[in-house]
Amino acid sequence: MEEDEEIESEELDEFEDEETSRDLVVPGEVVSEDIEHFLPGRGTILNKERTKIISLNIGLKQIKKNYINVIPLRGFYTPRPGDKVIALVLDKSPVKYVCDINAKDTAILKPKNTVKKTKMRVMRGSSQPRDDSSTDKYEIGDILIVKVISADRLNRPELTTIGKYLGKKVGGIVISIDPPKIPRVIGRNGSMIKNLKNLTNTSIFVTQNGRIWLRGEDMAHERLLIDAIRKIEREAHTVGLTDRMSVYIENEKKKRGIK
Amino acid sequence: MPLIIKDEYPEKLFREDGKRLDGRDKQELRPIKMEVGVIKNADGSAYLEWGNNKIYAAVYGPREVHPHHLAKPDRGILRVFYRMATFSVFDRKRPAPGRREKEISMIITDCLEPVLFLELYPGTSFEVFIDVMDADGGTRCASTTVAALALADAGVPMRSLVSAVAVGRIDGEIVTDLSGIEDKAGEADLPCAITWFNEELSLLQFDGDMNLKDLDQYLKLAKDALTKIYALQLEALKSKYLTIQNESSGGE
Repeated sequence: MEEDEEIESEELDEFEDEETSRDLVVPGEVVSEDIEHFLPGRGTILNKERTKIISLNIGLKQIKKNYINVIPLRGFYTPRPGDKVIALVLDKSPVKYVCDINAKDTAILKPKNTVKKTKMRVMRGSSQPRDDSSTDKYEIGDILIVKVISADRLNRPELTTIGKYLGKKVGGIVISIDPPKIPRVIGRNGSMIKNLKNLTNTSIFVTQNGRIWLRGEDMAHERLLIDAIRKIEREAHTVGLTDRMSVYIENEKKKRGIK
Repeated sequence: MPLIIKDEYPEKLFREDGKRLDGRDKQELRPIKMEVGVIKNADGSAYLEWGNNKIYAAVYGPREVHPHHLAKPDRGILRVFYRMATFSVFDRKRPAPGRREKEISMIITDCLEPVLFLELYPGTSFEVFIDVMDADGGTRCASTTVAALALADAGVPMRSLVSAVAVGRIDGEIVTDLSGIEDKAGEADLPCAITWFNEELSLLQFDGDMNLKDLDQYLKLAKDALTKIYALQLEALKSKYLTIQNESSGGE
């Protein structure tokens, strides 16, 4: 089975950006007092007197054009339409599946979003039951790769499994890391994930809700990869991580005696 | 016949050399040690040692509200659970939350709410669990301080941190950061907390008797102490990441 990888768009490579300074800021700390030249961007706010830009999160300061952003180091996943995420089926009823996507609400997967619609006209009139009206396709406890089709502050997110790479995952391991550190596991233009894949000879699928699906040829490779990802999560805010990870994996391979 | 040990307080709360009973100057804080990320399963956590106080705080959220009827359709809610361990005080503390616990939970909630953006998370709750393992005066201030740290560690967007300290009067002298015995035997006790984004008081309680004309002086002394505590809070939050940064750059 050919495995696929998820390489995210450039907007997620902010950790590696040259403009990202390694200045650590915490909530309430003044990021800049120069409001004539800079505007508050993501993770920042103007103070009441509109004289200072202050940070809202614990994170790294970044200056992009005339915006000052703070890239968070801790946080939670907020679903957005179009995200591909790993979901766990928690419950099912005849009309819907309830999935955990590591967000504040559980998400809903309707059976009509699990079957392609194109052939239904041909099927009309036949005695076969319509499989888009029952929840027999997946079981409780299944790991699915799904896409978020709608999400907002008030309603529970809705999911679909129709699309490329989407559907049930059989085998492999799913691990969770801090969602803000996912861009670091992917790296600039997917450099880190390619590196990990080549060095440990495993298949990886990284999703934005902080969950990573992986499968290697044996347990030793999978363990090495999990340790490597934990190291990336821990050192996400440091410089030169991609190079250091290559060295780390090579050293660990020798130490553990795997090829 | 139960054994009853009466609380006995010393007559004087100052030593002959002018220092307080634990050897501090009038405006000196007790030794403070802070650490973040101590509880693995929590979204954010912090630990604080403030003199003899030992307090853990853990933050979970945003998550669904249970019981459901507490959820607000237009904004999230902050729930604080301040609890004292049975072994935290001299007499065994009955584990059921009493009037005092409920009050302190409420004042910490009110104290922290202005710094959070609860309107961004309708129908959800942030939950802060504060467990006092060892208590020796000023736990409400220490709990507020450590709860703010835990919230910041969880990555909850905040306008700023919150720090708290108590000032009071013992034997006619104004002192900062009252210990357990000074709190009980002293004349006045004024816990106050500050939100740093607007430098406004977020908590002001009072117990005892004092001259209202001195209030400005009390608050000025509190502000000095709060500035010191704020610096320690910033250091605690940053050191978690800076140690890793130094490790990795030192290895190269």
